Amino acid sequence: MKKKFDLTAITKSKLTWAVVAEVLILLVCLIVRPDFFKISYQESTGMLYGSLIDIINRSSEITIIAMGMTLVIALGGTDLSVGALVAVSGAIALKFLRWDVLEYTTPGDYTVCSYALVLIVPLVVCLLMGLFNGLLIAKGGMQPIIATLILMVCGRGIAQILTNGKQFTTGYSPFRVIGQGSFLYLPMPIIITVVVVAAVALFVRKTAFGTFVESVGINRSASRLSGINAQLIIFIVFALTGFLSGISGLIYSSRIMSNDSNNAGLNYEMDAILAVVIGGTSMTGGKFSLAGTVLGSIIIRTIVTLVYYFGIASEATMAFKAMIIAVVIVLQSEPVRNYFSKRAKKRAYAVKGGVI
Amino acid sequence: MSDRSLASRRSLGSRIMNPKYIMIYATIGIFLVMYLFGAISYGAQGFTTLRTITNLFVDNAYYGISAVGMTMVLITGGIDLSVGAVASLTGMFIAYGTTVLGIHPLLCILFSLVVGVGLGLLMGWVIHRLNVPPFITTLTGMFLARGVCALISRESIEIKHEMIDSLASWKIYFMQLKDGEWVKIKPISYINFNVILFIVVLIAGIYILQKTRFGRNVYAVGGNEQSAKLMGLPVGKTKILVYGFNGLCSVLAGVAYALYVKSGWNLSLMGAELDVITCAVIGGTLLTGGVGYMVGTLFGVLLKSMIPALITFNGNLLSWWGKIATGLLLLLFICIQKLVLGVTGRKKTSKTKPIKE
Repeated sequence: MKKKFDLTAITKSKLTWAVVAEVLILLVCLIVRPDFFKISYQESTGMLYGSLIDIINRSSEITIIAMGMTLVIALGGTDLSVGALVAVSGAIALKFLRWDVLEYTTPGDYTVCSYALVLIVPLVVCLLMGLFNGLLIAKGGMQPIIATLILMVCGRGIAQILTNGKQFTTGYSPFRVIGQGSFLYLPMPIIITVVVVAAVALFVRKTAFGTFVESVGINRSASRLSGINAQLIIFIVFALTGFLSGISGLIYSSRIMSNDSNNAGLNYEMDAILAVVIGGTSMTGGKFSLAGTVLGSIIIRTIVTLVYYFGIASEATMAFKAMIIAVVIVLQSEPVRNYFSKRAKKRAYAVKGGVI
Repeated sequence: MSDRSLASRRSLGSRIMNPKYIMIYATIGIFLVMYLFGAISYGAQGFTTLRTITNLFVDNAYYGISAVGMTMVLITGGIDLSVGAVASLTGMFIAYGTTVLGIHPLLCILFSLVVGVGLGLLMGWVIHRLNVPPFITTLTGMFLARGVCALISRESIEIKHEMIDSLASWKIYFMQLKDGEWVKIKPISYINFNVILFIVVLIAGIYILQKTRFGRNVYAVGGNEQSAKLMGLPVGKTKILVYGFNGLCSVLAGVAYALYVKSGWNLSLMGAELDVITCAVIGGTLLTGGVGYMVGTLFGVLLKSMIPALITFNGNLLSWWGKIATGLLLLLFICIQKLVLGVTGRKKTSKTKPIKE
């Protein structure tokens, strides 16, 4: 039997509107810049260049964080600390690269501590900070938004104190590879993002973990009664988000080869949450969609790119971001979706010749 | 009616010792402890003078004004992330309007009020009717307001207008009688227009929350929206108006901030929304809704602004320690809240258990 084209399912799906929005924005991009989809190969860097690649490349920090954020939101919480953790991660990495400022006054192609430490310590610290969030929420029973607000407020202060309020720069080439290098003709951040997304997707979808997360998000006490260790799930999810923020922080600081405790990861928590919500995961928790989140993150970046094409100031992109997001969110909202699916049903009935 | 007569019959002592005020007492207590610490450590540098207290008000009036509106939003169980951006937008309107366009500042303020309250009501409507989470709705509002700020100008604009100048420099000095003559207290301590605006907004907030039907509805909606709806309370109207009121407070905070710095900048007050929420939480407001008092928020603002004051008096610490101290303070208060709620919650369950079984 031929599979029926089900209009109701499509209008009901939250992802539909995200896809429509992305396609529309890309079309506008194409009108503004006819060579928008052009991708060229540059031999000197061994990388592919093009607007599409750039969009995905620049969205990678948010995408990586949003993977963790999706799980956090699926649990019914929010993690406000991710932006601060990005700053902490960058600060620690640069601290290890340039430990003794007096001895090595000029930034160059060297690292003071071993490169392994430069990469591992920030990730471990971010993991621990994520665990701290998880501890407050799972054991302390605090609201996630408040518990993570603590590290959000503290985090940048910690990052500043770790580097004594200084901004270090470095020229260490292996560190540059993370944010500016390439692999398989693609920018390194894209590769890292693909690996992270694949790892998280495998972890949550090929094990029961994703189902556990959804279960805890829908009803914590019911899932506890059915034998799920809700506390452990919360611990893992927040620790994972902290760890992913650490990765994102390394990419960010490698892009600018410096630490910027004031601006690194600024508003990332907001962008990540928006990416998750645009991707169709409900803020009330429960079912989540990792693919939707990736799409949401790319949508946000595409909007920013589009606004650049119009030659509008970078700070003003927020207004356009807000408008497009508002449209997507209103279209995704329950009453509007119900309205559309009702109409679609009515039409389906009418086509069949049924009585409404 | 019966509730009011019951309350008046209760003795003053039992009314003060009501467990629902524990969080306010904790806030006031820690404020006093910090003040004592400052007085002992930096008494010689003049910490105990009246000036320290008045400066807390003068330097943080705009936070306080915004915190009044935020407290009300938090009591309904919502959150508003747009306050900093709306206040910044107000500053931009005033600066651009008076300096570049030559419009009277009062007209600019009126325009800001229309925009701010309008945006607040719109967000309230989206939250209530379209069922979009407050976090996302107000986040979008924040992006919108910040973006419009940047569209107006990306550079800081100085506000040059006689009225703004005279309002900003208008001060009431504290005087004392010395040799039969009134002289200014040394070191000079004063309150300005912003402080008076803050106090007016605070008193209005207390009155609305405690004495009006709307205020009681706010508590009812925050306590349990379903029950409030079943009781026939106007849930939608209450929620929408609360966001409108918060928009009003944000605009007034923006006016106070514009008077304080006498300029408008599109990146001013970045992250102020979370500072304001921190003040409210330190003041005993629960983010789950239904619990919170304006007096607690007042002391929350004072307590939070005490930290930078202490760091300034110390002189050796990096200002970054202020952020860490604020975070630790937040942690402390959430722990206290958990303990208090845990104790009172247990009492309640032990009382209600026999009825249930």
